[in-house]
Amino acid sequence: MPPVETSARFRTGRIALYLTLTAISLVMIVPFVWMLLTSVKTPGDIAAVPPRLFPTEWAFGNYVDALRAAPFATYARNSFVIAASHTVLNVLIASMAGYALARLRFRGSSLIFLGFVGALMIPTYTKILPEFLIVRFMPLFGGNDITGQGGTGWLDTWWALIIPGAVSPFSVFLFRQFYLDLPVELEEAARLDGLSELGIYARIMTPLVKPAFITVALLTFEGSWNNFLWPLLVTKSDSLRVIQVGLSVFRTENDTQWAFLMAGTTLATVPMVVLFLIGQRYFVQGFATAGIK
Amino acid sequence: MVSTRDRVRAAASGPSAAPPRRRGLLRARRRAGLLMVAPAVLHALIWIGIPLVAAIVLSFTSYDVLTPPRFIGLENFRDLLSDNVFRRAVLNTSIYTFFTVPVAMGIALLIALMLNTQLAGRAIFRTAIFIPQVTATIAVALVWLWIYDPRSGLANAILSFLGLDGPAWLSSTDWAMPAVIVVGIWQGIGLKMLIYLAALQSLPTELYEAASVDGASKFRQFFSLTLPLLRPATFFVFVTSVIGAFQSFDQVYILTDGGPANSTTMMTYEIYKSAFREFRMGYACAQSLVLFALLLFLTLLNRRITGGDRATR
Repeated sequence: MPPVETSARFRTGRIALYLTLTAISLVMIVPFVWMLLTSVKTPGDIAAVPPRLFPTEWAFGNYVDALRAAPFATYARNSFVIAASHTVLNVLIASMAGYALARLRFRGSSLIFLGFVGALMIPTYTKILPEFLIVRFMPLFGGNDITGQGGTGWLDTWWALIIPGAVSPFSVFLFRQFYLDLPVELEEAARLDGLSELGIYARIMTPLVKPAFITVALLTFEGSWNNFLWPLLVTKSDSLRVIQVGLSVFRTENDTQWAFLMAGTTLATVPMVVLFLIGQRYFVQGFATAGIK
Repeated sequence: MVSTRDRVRAAASGPSAAPPRRRGLLRARRRAGLLMVAPAVLHALIWIGIPLVAAIVLSFTSYDVLTPPRFIGLENFRDLLSDNVFRRAVLNTSIYTFFTVPVAMGIALLIALMLNTQLAGRAIFRTAIFIPQVTATIAVALVWLWIYDPRSGLANAILSFLGLDGPAWLSSTDWAMPAVIVVGIWQGIGLKMLIYLAALQSLPTELYEAASVDGASKFRQFFSLTLPLLRPATFFVFVTSVIGAFQSFDQVYILTDGGPANSTTMMTYEIYKSAFREFRMGYACAQSLVLFALLLFLTLLNRRITGGDRATR
């Protein structure tokens, strides 16, 4: 932006800009404010017509009651274990693949890359049924015989929750774009110094794409934490339920316990907002170098 | 980017002319490449390759998971043609995508332009606008469920404050779809804004200086410089948004259950119903292949129209 703008017009423009952005931000966060305030309302306040924005009585006990109504600590732990595993596995496996596809050309590498790009386009719902069947008929697991019959396979196990989401083609694609931009001289110099290819990847190139790692890690963690349908399909027991599925205990056919539901939803949301606040600087940087500029 | 790739290619070519040590290095490099890509490829073959083939095979069968699949030829696809609810779902999905994607993209670009200035508190605005994105659709949908509640919801509270009588949003065949679309737009803005912001920050400033010197107005600069330069980002956002919008499921699952009278049912919701409520796996696979075919067609059409971008080439 040119700094020579004259003061009066510039100031009016600035004020208009702030007002617009504030208005938009408010619209974006209204549901969250609503959620936060509802989570500390009494049933009487919630049923009030017309609705009140602020509670007449702050019922912080809702959180205690919600936590008591369902084992949310277990749900949160499950979600965290799954999201953390997905993040570590994705960052590790997808970055190696992305690096190899970007920097180490070998026979079939461009074909493999095309395969990953094509895989991006396959809808989740085309894959989800067969994936469910693979999990269900996983040989030699959960009482299945070698042909996958007789038991429940990976259903209701950690395997089903973690393995299918361990690598996403999107992560491979993003990593490849990040590694593509690094100068080749670095690589050559490291090679002359006698570093192995794995060493060049791990010690020289990877530290240079830190924003990429944070971008992929954040996207993976949040996607995994917020996943709903897959854990709903493959788990039955309470001890393996994830937080997004667990929230539905407060919503039954006839009655919804709004205050508890909102308290639970708040607890599920806050960690993600904090994560974004911490990582957002790298996030924009990461996207800026993702080859989509 | 292109030049780097060319250099890499140049460095890797001509092994015949290279001395023995160099040839050994090249072989080591190829082996390392194969090894590093192997885990991801193996995972993709099992969890994407096999499922795709299985979906195609199963679409020609009748299958309820409990008894083995039975080959029935094209019957599933014939049934699809006369399935009015699925046709409705295709229509609904298209309407939803048609309204959410362009509107959300437009708003996202505007916000990104506003945030791409020297502004105090930029991080706060950025976070506020991104908040819907980092929250589970399920959580978001639950809050909206309440906003749309006809008696105690926020939407009708605002309308009645303005002296208007609000509809019974989610249980009205006329208003349920617009209500779902508003949620889709609202939730989609954050990520699109972030991608646009990143793209804007990497635009070459020299061009704008030159344009200013030439006396081009801000308005003119936007249409003649910014928009064309943003084309790859726009392509990326558009393609990923359409793919995402065609697959939206969570909102409808929580907000409307596809109702009232199928007015908000989506393709993914029908697939879910066929597979996991009616246990007609073969039929669900046929439905999902229609979705895949539509997405493939749209993406290719898109590339044809916009010329694509180098990132996906």
